[in-house]
Amino acid sequence: MAAYFQAPTAYSRTALPPLAAVSAPQHLVPPSDTSGTIMAITGVGFTVIAGDARRGDAFGAYPQVRFVPTVFRLTDKAVLATNGFASDGNIFIKKVRQRLDWYRHAHAKDMSLHAIALLIQSMLYQRRFCPFYVHNILGGIEDDGSGAVYSFDEVGSYVRETCRAAGSASTMLQPFLDSQIYPKSSQPPTPGSATHLSLARVLALVMDSYKHAADRLSHDQIGDGLEVYIVLSKGTSTQGLNIEGVSEVTSIPGGERIFLLRRSLA
Amino acid sequence: MFLTRSEYDRGVNTFSPEGRLFQVEYAMEAIKLGSTTVGIRTPHGVVLAVEKRVHSPLLESSSIEKIMEIDEHLGCAMSGLTADARTIIDHARVTAQNHSFTYDEKIKVESVAQAVCDLALRFGESVHDEEAMMSRPFGVALLIAGIDEVGPQLYHTDPSGTSTRYDAKAIGSGSEAAQSELQDKWHKSMTLQEAHILTLRVLKQVMEEKLDQHNVQVAQVTKEKGFEILDETSLKDVIELM
Repeated sequence: MAAYFQAPTAYSRTALPPLAAVSAPQHLVPPSDTSGTIMAITGVGFTVIAGDARRGDAFGAYPQVRFVPTVFRLTDKAVLATNGFASDGNIFIKKVRQRLDWYRHAHAKDMSLHAIALLIQSMLYQRRFCPFYVHNILGGIEDDGSGAVYSFDEVGSYVRETCRAAGSASTMLQPFLDSQIYPKSSQPPTPGSATHLSLARVLALVMDSYKHAADRLSHDQIGDGLEVYIVLSKGTSTQGLNIEGVSEVTSIPGGERIFLLRRSLA
Repeated sequence: MFLTRSEYDRGVNTFSPEGRLFQVEYAMEAIKLGSTTVGIRTPHGVVLAVEKRVHSPLLESSSIEKIMEIDEHLGCAMSGLTADARTIIDHARVTAQNHSFTYDEKIKVESVAQAVCDLALRFGESVHDEEAMMSRPFGVALLIAGIDEVGPQLYHTDPSGTSTRYDAKAIGSGSEAAQSELQDKWHKSMTLQEAHILTLRVLKQVMEEKLDQHNVQVAQVTKEKGFEILDETSLKDVIELM
């Protein structure tokens, strides 16, 4: 992990380095963390995946931008959130979508959620020694109708969970989510869905989390727009979704449904 | 007959003026010389049966292998130049394993049939100055049986790279008589045992030797047990029921 936290000297260098420095062993300078926070929570028959839209890093190497989405609809039952270096995230999403298209053409169906999870693992591990600087959270509905959240590290290791936060506010939000979603925090969390939480309650948790994170964190770490995707399994009621700013983005009616909620974080 | 085909039946990648690829057509002829192979689809699973030509009493009939496993839920039976099938089945097995490695799910039967057909047309193909990987079309046809989320399915693939789905299909030397028998006897609510008996009855009609557990091979793909080749005792039981 040492390489991740090194001071990005490469960005502040103005003059050419002396000749001796060129031949000296160079340390890997990772790309900037362009910040932002993503999170996902799954309940009975639904999964909520969220991310904010402000991008920029602390060193000015990445420009401050006010609307760069980090959460992407992949299929009617899968949504992928990326966090880390924005350019790597964009390319990674592009590659995943290409693989989904190829799969659809070869097998005449959409890839299931657990298949996407395994695919993402192998795509990330292929770049084991020059990784994409992205932390992924995949959320959606499994073939059996249950909600699922998969979280990945940069090189593809993943686990199915009930909730996960990643990015600039994750150290603040993950313990909060744990306390709300896993009822007995003294026991190790078991993957599955938060059976005791309604969709309305989960949405309220997500929006409160972002509101407080935006208040607490510095301006280049979180802010502007909040995008929340809500994936409902087949037949799940839309109760709790009759709030301002929600629009349906489902592509094929009759199956799982996807809704998008946009809010301003200021 | 052969005089009219001169010139244009040499190259594998040259069309005749009438728009035919003779080498591919000849490859299809090679299948008609092969032993008869039958496949039947039922709602409970798919049954495959082949005739083994035991042309010498010194031949170990168990060494003739004409039904092979592709994956746990997929099997295939062949007719024609069976040595060519080794290359094809190897390709199908790799494709099936790659699929479950990447997507954590069993590959669809249709996708395997498609993968086989992709390979069938790679003859005479060369990259830059390299030698072509395959010099001629495959001389073998396959019946691919399997079960996936769509249900039990039977596919037929041939050297022209065409794959077609069937309820019941016969290939090989006795295929014409066998196919018309299947057309008469097949119905869509067959049990697995009825299918076993029908495949053997059809084979019996077209075989020169007397059918017994040594000169036929039967396999099935079911939802519960996947692909399995029937052993001699269970084969004997089916033969007794005929």
